[in-house]
Amino acid sequence: MSLFKARDWWSTTLGEKEEFDQGCLCVADVDNSGSGQDKIIVSSYMGYLRIFNPHPVQPGDEVQPEDLLLEVQFREPILQVEVGKFVSGTEGLHLAVLHCRKLCVYAVSGTLGNVEHGNQYQIKLMYEHNLQRTACNMTYGPFGGVKGRDLICIQSMDGMLMLFEQESYAFGRFLPGFLLPGPLAYSSRTDSFITVSSCRQVESYKYQVLAFATDADERQTEQQKHSSGKKLVVDWVLNIGEQALDICIVSFNQAISSVFVLGERNFFCLKDNGQIRFMKKLDYSPSCFIPYCSVKEGTINTLIGNHSKMLNVYQDVTLKWAAQLPHVPVSVKVARLQDLKGVIVTLSDDGHLQCSYLGTDPSIFQAPKVESREINYEEFEAEMKELQKNIREATKTQDVLPKSEKHRDVVVTAEVSPDLDAESQAIDSEVKAEAVPSVTVKVTVQTRVAVQKPNLAVCIQAPLAVTCDQFLFDDLEPDSSETVFLSVFLKGNCPPSELEGSCLVSYTIPTELNPEGIPRVAECNFKLPLRLICFPAQPSKAANHKITIDTNKPPISFLTLFPDFLDSSEDDQANALGFQFLTGSKTTLLASKTSQRYRIQSDQLEDLWLITKELTLRLQEHFKKKNCKDFACTFSGSIPLQEYFELIDQHFELRLNAEKFQELLSERAVQFRAIERRLLTRFKDKTPAPLQHLDTLLEGTFREVIALADAAEENQTNLFQAFSKLKCATHLVIMLISLWQKLSTDQIAVLEATFLPLAEDTQELGWEETVDAAVSYLLKTCLSKSSKEQALTLGSELSMPKDTNRLKKNITLLCDRLAKGGRLSFSTDSATQQAVALPG
Amino acid sequence: RRAGPGGPRRGQLFPWEQRGLPRTESATLGSEGLGDTDTQQSRRRWGGTGYGMGLEPLLEAWSCFRRRKFQRCAELCSQLLERPPVEQEPDSEYSTYQAAWSLKTRALTEMVYVDEIDMDQEGIAEMTLDENAIAQVARPGTSLKLPGTSQGGGPSPAVRPVTQSGRPITGFVRPSTQSGRPSTMEQAIKTSRTALTARPITSASGGYVRLGTASMLTSPDGPFINLSRLNLAKYAQKPNLSKALFEYIFHHENNVKNALDLAALATEHAQFKDWWWKVQIGKCYYRLGLYREAEKQFKSALKDQDMVDTILYLAKVYLRLDQPVTALNLFKQGLDRFPGEVTLLCGIARIHEEMNDVSTAAEYYKDVLKQDNTHVEAIACIGSNHFYSDQPEIALRYYRRLLQMGVYKCQLFNNLGLCCFYAQQYDMTLSSFERALFLAENEEETADVWYNLGHVAVGIGDLNLAYQCFKLAFVNNNDYAEAYNNLAVLEMRKGHIEQARALLQTASSLAPHLYEPHFNFAILSEKVGDLQRSLTAAQKSEAAFPGHVDTQRLLKQLKEHL
Repeated sequence: MSLFKARDWWSTTLGEKEEFDQGCLCVADVDNSGSGQDKIIVSSYMGYLRIFNPHPVQPGDEVQPEDLLLEVQFREPILQVEVGKFVSGTEGLHLAVLHCRKLCVYAVSGTLGNVEHGNQYQIKLMYEHNLQRTACNMTYGPFGGVKGRDLICIQSMDGMLMLFEQESYAFGRFLPGFLLPGPLAYSSRTDSFITVSSCRQVESYKYQVLAFATDADERQTEQQKHSSGKKLVVDWVLNIGEQALDICIVSFNQAISSVFVLGERNFFCLKDNGQIRFMKKLDYSPSCFIPYCSVKEGTINTLIGNHSKMLNVYQDVTLKWAAQLPHVPVSVKVARLQDLKGVIVTLSDDGHLQCSYLGTDPSIFQAPKVESREINYEEFEAEMKELQKNIREATKTQDVLPKSEKHRDVVVTAEVSPDLDAESQAIDSEVKAEAVPSVTVKVTVQTRVAVQKPNLAVCIQAPLAVTCDQFLFDDLEPDSSETVFLSVFLKGNCPPSELEGSCLVSYTIPTELNPEGIPRVAECNFKLPLRLICFPAQPSKAANHKITIDTNKPPISFLTLFPDFLDSSEDDQANALGFQFLTGSKTTLLASKTSQRYRIQSDQLEDLWLITKELTLRLQEHFKKKNCKDFACTFSGSIPLQEYFELIDQHFELRLNAEKFQELLSERAVQFRAIERRLLTRFKDKTPAPLQHLDTLLEGTFREVIALADAAEENQTNLFQAFSKLKCATHLVIMLISLWQKLSTDQIAVLEATFLPLAEDTQELGWEETVDAAVSYLLKTCLSKSSKEQALTLGSELSMPKDTNRLKKNITLLCDRLAKGGRLSFSTDSATQQAVALPG
Repeated sequence: RRAGPGGPRRGQLFPWEQRGLPRTESATLGSEGLGDTDTQQSRRRWGGTGYGMGLEPLLEAWSCFRRRKFQRCAELCSQLLERPPVEQEPDSEYSTYQAAWSLKTRALTEMVYVDEIDMDQEGIAEMTLDENAIAQVARPGTSLKLPGTSQGGGPSPAVRPVTQSGRPITGFVRPSTQSGRPSTMEQAIKTSRTALTARPITSASGGYVRLGTASMLTSPDGPFINLSRLNLAKYAQKPNLSKALFEYIFHHENNVKNALDLAALATEHAQFKDWWWKVQIGKCYYRLGLYREAEKQFKSALKDQDMVDTILYLAKVYLRLDQPVTALNLFKQGLDRFPGEVTLLCGIARIHEEMNDVSTAAEYYKDVLKQDNTHVEAIACIGSNHFYSDQPEIALRYYRRLLQMGVYKCQLFNNLGLCCFYAQQYDMTLSSFERALFLAENEEETADVWYNLGHVAVGIGDLNLAYQCFKLAFVNNNDYAEAYNNLAVLEMRKGHIEQARALLQTASSLAPHLYEPHFNFAILSEKVGDLQRSLTAAQKSEAAFPGHVDTQRLLKQLKEHL
């Protein structure tokens, strides 16, 4: 991240597919021209050695052929090049080239030609050493304080330091605890070698110590081969905790001599004795560095290149400048080229050599263009209008769903077989009857178009259940069909509130634009026979609950009405019929011989519902068949509200219980966690304290939690049964009200929506508060006595009421108002009601 | 009466802003090692050249490692390791095999290395089963758990939006930004887990695991080192091998327990004198949630050797123990030892920011910039600070600098657009947002842009456009509470009371920490005469933002009525 980029002074790309590393770049006046002009020496792993003397006329010029002074190819890869006073008897600079198994020292000389590009350069081998071990890197310097000449120390891959006193081999020493080579540097002030070992320590070895340690292998005649000696004594060690990339030892006039270590994550500056002068945590991966000068008293400037192609200039730890480079530098040097001091020379891994200088050239970051059209205001305006029109229309038509097509592409039909299964298919039924009957339903999916991923779901309200409620088909061809059979039976131990089920097919139809397909559904409902949940029994005379249905036609024999329950032989029973539910309770149906009345009686209010419904349905069907249109049922007696309220109370009490269980459970859970926490601290303690029966307490709490959970589960089952009963009773009450007040189908729908919310009955949002809100809404709108009551104050969030008194009062009031001629109709004020959503 | 409809609107249409610039560092970390695709090419290069020279494989691997070509390095090492052991030198001190093995562990580690200091993820279980809690009710200014206590005179929530935990929104997203902790398990679980606030149940299931699975990718033929068969005691004897092995186990295999075993053995072998091992043990303890033990190790390590990393780790422990003041002191001591260390300064600034002391934080961020003027986090934080203290022009300059530095992100353009708008440079506003939309990487970012665009539309009075923008905002991000709130205000203006009410209820349930939905709801209820609900909503608003003058006025009025 930088504002500026390094300004290109001169750059070139070397070779093709050559590789370069840290040691491959060296900057020095290698041909001893005496002009103080540095030459750039670059070597590669491919064995090429090149010497450049860039002199662009203008910064950023193309490379001139005469910039390349020399190019030689060796047979072996070059690991490192260094320039120093390597030849005895002369203080001239020579070039040391380190190959894997060889060290060569060359003299570089130039012959002046007649014209300017006629200068000719050549290298001459001064001496070479063959190495017994694979070399890795080298360092040089006036070891032992010799004047006017440089000695070379080579580190091998297996950790031996080989020292050469110019033309002769001096000695070799193994570094202790060696695993992988680290960077190596020589400090002339302390006359020691500094490296970073695999133990992640900066280690300093005195040359003297190295030299004296040779005693041990003097007897070994063979030169470099098996030289090993007693353990080296380390001068000082500093644990830096990471591997290092490079070490530089510098001393400038104004600043004290320091050892700089570039680690993988930090940058260290050490004193001569190995103490940290300062360190800096780097938030990038550095690749190379060079401390180059001291601008301010006591500080040293350093260049650090990193893998994000940046070159940072630090003054001690303060970032002074950051410049972008076109490549990741593996080596950086500062050179004096063509009388220009301080040129930054960088070399990249793939041979990009660049001489650059810092400047306020902005790094040209071109934000890519956004795809935008030419602005044509008129067109835009038109498009905008069009879009806004679309939006307005879309918001106006509140029907989000598209209109259903007239003829469906996919039709699903369900056929309930008239007879019960000969062999019951019921599985896992909780009903305690001897035999649980089942009935087969045949579901057919027909399609006229190609359909993808059809998925049939059969929904049936508990306590009824089906043998299989999900079917996945393969993609259907046009004009094909699929048929499945399934069985319905009573699973839960309570009577269902309705004997209906529905099938739903979801599928996708692929279109050109949308190959994934557009999701669609098709559905159908089916009715289940009464025989599924009850069987004929002896009628009983006495019962707690009785209701009487009046009709305007003479009574029909039960033989014709309920042929599936009565045997035609027993015609003496024709006006009394008993139903025994699988769950155990009994309901009796009586037909009056004289008047046009039917009586339904049972010990339980909720059991009346299914029979009453079946009766009215069969009567209607019967008269329809006879083309008798004016048949009507009525109900005159009072609505059994008291009994109904009892059921509500039962249900509500169970809900209260559930809440109590929940509270208790969370209390115990908190207690459990508290004990756990205490135990945890006990166990973690260095000096464990006695547990003091905490474990017993933990187990006790655990048992309690489990017991509570079991109880809550049982309560849940009871709650479900109570709700099922409540639903039956509610259906009955609605039916009775509608028969009593002769309500139209619309009005019945309103009542059903009021009393039977589609939402599940849950602890947070239960039946009571939902129905209460709906009933009070009815009371305040269409059943209100005066306009004063119509002022809408919607109740706040629905929450579980404290008791059911308000609900009971409202239901009673609803019945009263209906009795006084209230009409459940929203037609007059439907316009204003649309905006008002039901609360919740 | 009240300031009229102007009152509520100003309060709640604030720019949702700047969910920060992802750290550049972590962005590069992911791609570095793995993105190296020239492996085959280079192998062909070495194998196919007829020079017969080639580097020694180990030397080449070593060189590749230095140049961060880890994939190739690991491959070369594998080849070395597959060689029959006969070729090995009989040298007892040293063997190529060991060297290659060690180099490969290092290469594999570097591929997945993420600085442990930046890793911070606190799961729900850790938070609630935290047995390190010291004081339930901390004194103001000494705890991070009570965000409301602002001594530095930071901006009020009316000006600067707050995060879920009640801190002002920062300019830079870092792993620990969402550090506010719920007080109980129940609350933690009940907090709505939206895409932006979701935290893992335990940290063991969070990011650590994702990092650990990197090992599966890199070596399809099973793990490189079978940890269960490793004789840790043997390796602990070898200091030159053990450190690399530890990092491999810790970072690559993510097996903290084994790593801890190795570290314990190794530190014993080093006679408890190697600070590095102590730091590693501390890291392991920290991961295992044993903060006090970690603290001991770090302190002991600091006694042996002052290191920036150790200070950072120790401060991290203190922050986790909710002792920000201790952490601050530690940082300051660290600064005495390492003057001008950016990470330490930045740590101080972050703590001040978390403790709502924004002005001090800005001071420290400025110190950071004095040391390192390319520090993205500092620039972003100072920029957002200026933006919220009503100096959009200055903020604009900071953001522009980030842009010049090459931060090319949706969030930046988002911020630039907002700054331009508030600095009344309208020509740039829309084009900035256009770019931001173009750069948006996910739906949350798109939603942010649309939200801000809606805000601009409100500013220029194009309510229709604003309406559509807010709708688009929550088409893209369903949990955008602020967009719901602002849309509700627009509905309120249109007179659609019921819609407004529903939207406000959604907003307040999505983000209970915002005071605006509560306040608007109070105003709305008061208008239609539902004083009871107005009162409850106003009280909620007061709880979210105690200093809000309009709320207090409304409350006073309501109390007179009742």
